[in-house]
Amino acid sequence: MKPQPFLRIFVSPAALCALGFLAAMATVLQYSLRAYVPGSLDVGGFTLDNFTALLRPLYARVFLDTVWICFLTAACTLIVAYPVAYALVHAQNRLIKAAILVIAVTPLFLGEVVRTYSWIVVLGNNGFINSVLLKLGLIDRPLQIMFTTFAVVTALVHVTLPVMVIMLAAALAHIDPAYERAAQSLGAGPIRAFLSVTLPLSTPGIIAGVATAFAWTFSAFATPQLIGGGQVNMISNLVYQLGLASFNFPFAASLSVAGLALTFAVLSLLRVAARPLERFGPH
Amino acid sequence: MSSLAAERRLEGHAETLPTSGSDDASVRLLGTCKRFGAVTALEDATISVRRGELMSLLGPSGCGKTTLLNLVAGFLAADSGQIEIDGERVNDIPTYKREIGMMFQNYALFPHMSIAENVGYGLRMRGIAKPDLKRRVAEALALVRLTGVEDRRPHQLSGGQQQRVALARALVISPRVLLLDEPFSALDRNLRASMQIEIKEIQRQLGVTTIFVTHDQGEALSLSDRIAVMFEGRIRQVGTPDEIYRRPADRFVASFVGDVNVLRARLDSVDGGLAAVTLGRARISVSREPLTRVRPGDRVDLFVRPEQVRFAQAGEPIAVEGTVAAHIYQGDHVNLYVDAPEVCASRLLVRSLEPDAITRWPIGARVGVSIVGTGAIAFEAEPDQRGGEPRSG
Repeated sequence: MKPQPFLRIFVSPAALCALGFLAAMATVLQYSLRAYVPGSLDVGGFTLDNFTALLRPLYARVFLDTVWICFLTAACTLIVAYPVAYALVHAQNRLIKAAILVIAVTPLFLGEVVRTYSWIVVLGNNGFINSVLLKLGLIDRPLQIMFTTFAVVTALVHVTLPVMVIMLAAALAHIDPAYERAAQSLGAGPIRAFLSVTLPLSTPGIIAGVATAFAWTFSAFATPQLIGGGQVNMISNLVYQLGLASFNFPFAASLSVAGLALTFAVLSLLRVAARPLERFGPH
Repeated sequence: MSSLAAERRLEGHAETLPTSGSDDASVRLLGTCKRFGAVTALEDATISVRRGELMSLLGPSGCGKTTLLNLVAGFLAADSGQIEIDGERVNDIPTYKREIGMMFQNYALFPHMSIAENVGYGLRMRGIAKPDLKRRVAEALALVRLTGVEDRRPHQLSGGQQQRVALARALVISPRVLLLDEPFSALDRNLRASMQIEIKEIQRQLGVTTIFVTHDQGEALSLSDRIAVMFEGRIRQVGTPDEIYRRPADRFVASFVGDVNVLRARLDSVDGGLAAVTLGRARISVSREPLTRVRPGDRVDLFVRPEQVRFAQAGEPIAVEGTVAAHIYQGDHVNLYVDAPEVCASRLLVRSLEPDAITRWPIGARVGVSIVGTGAIAFEAEPDQRGGEPRSG
């Protein structure tokens, strides 16, 4: 290997950050193994009680809900993002291409709270959707959209869309258009050519996008907090309640650790599932 | 242009089509045009590919040959004119209903499918039942002499094997026309030669009408039944390899296909269909056809192939005098380049089969060159250019 004189200097800031994160992680891990002393911020001795408490239906339910919401979000994002990414890659006109890209990535530039409040304006009882439906006479009283899983997933799809679009577009752009032409020359109509050639060839991008969306949604906090309004709880909200409302730091820590472990588990599962597909990934 | 005028023009084309008759034509283009923005990629192309023939589209890059192929395949839509396959107008028929087989430049084998799945793809799209499909895939792979690889993936095969798979995949659906897009450009030289022979044999054996795009004139000459030479969006000449080589229609065709020397000569006299051209002390008889606007005494450019010139033997009239400038030894022959600046803008290429050519005519030797045979062709001299350059493929 060539000597790289600047390597040490360049790596050191990152190493320092990593060290900081590691220390924080170690602290959280340590907290998760401590006993909770009610009415005190100090913690007791080492115990595994926090983790056994996670199995109680109340908490297990939040875990399952979180996974379900993540799954729904990733699936919906994929369905919305794929056509956008396809159009982005295949648009001939540069202006149209630029417009699609700008619209697709705009959510990245909005602050999380601003974006979430915009959804409240749209979905609320006096919000855009309800007032339009009321004015049109399609409904008699406002639909309850806020504080539902549907509302939370809708807002979360908005957050994950840009990343999904970009990852899918990268995968689609690497697929030689000759494949689709070859399929058509062999008698496949546009839809069959897409389903039998382009779609399977884009699976590495789909898996990467879904994994990212999943991991990203798993740690969502502000969106379920504001739009779920206590009716839809995800792990982060539970951690927040336990940690900052009940000051049960050990239990909040054990929830975080379990959430992290679950994320890793789901991601490695996706990875294993993707392995047979990666061989023929984009060239 | 009004549609009426366009129609009339199409009819005109139909009347002037080759005598082979329309029922013999497998693929026909009538006055087909294709523009990309301000660029005309293909202008007024009229061509008829006969059933079972291998027609190559030959020309430099950007000449419109790939555009023409993509129009026949349906990947592009013609701006005007008509495209027919087996007498049926296909302008508005999408690619997947045209019953064509196409082999792509990089083969475009589906990387996520096995070889058998690749070859069987077209049959699956046609709803062929499994046992029949399996048999036909095996037959197609046997045809291209590739068996035992059914379960492998494309990336596990060599370039030559991939090409065989691509050919089998295109042929297994019994296409009305086979389209080959620069099929040999990705292969190394030795493999290319053997694949060319093989593809030609398979094509002849099946009798499938084939359109073959290439920029390699050697490839076109050796494989084609007929060649369409294209340049700047126009078809310049359509003919058998021999016609293209011996009776080029214009300066471009003459210099693009095969090596050629362009020599400055003078028109001496005309006599019926023949004209006599003087060059040095030689008088060369050429066809009058390309020289209708030239008068005796005017300058003409004489196009002479390297095998039509030789170092003058005793008693032969010397056409060009010059000095030997370079030798290129080629094993079975030697290319000698002769400097003769008054007659030939670039160096005159003489091809000698004599084994001792290099020692007999060393560099710097004064030599006289004579023109043998009757194959030379004269074209009007280009006013602004001092003759063309000999080109080799």
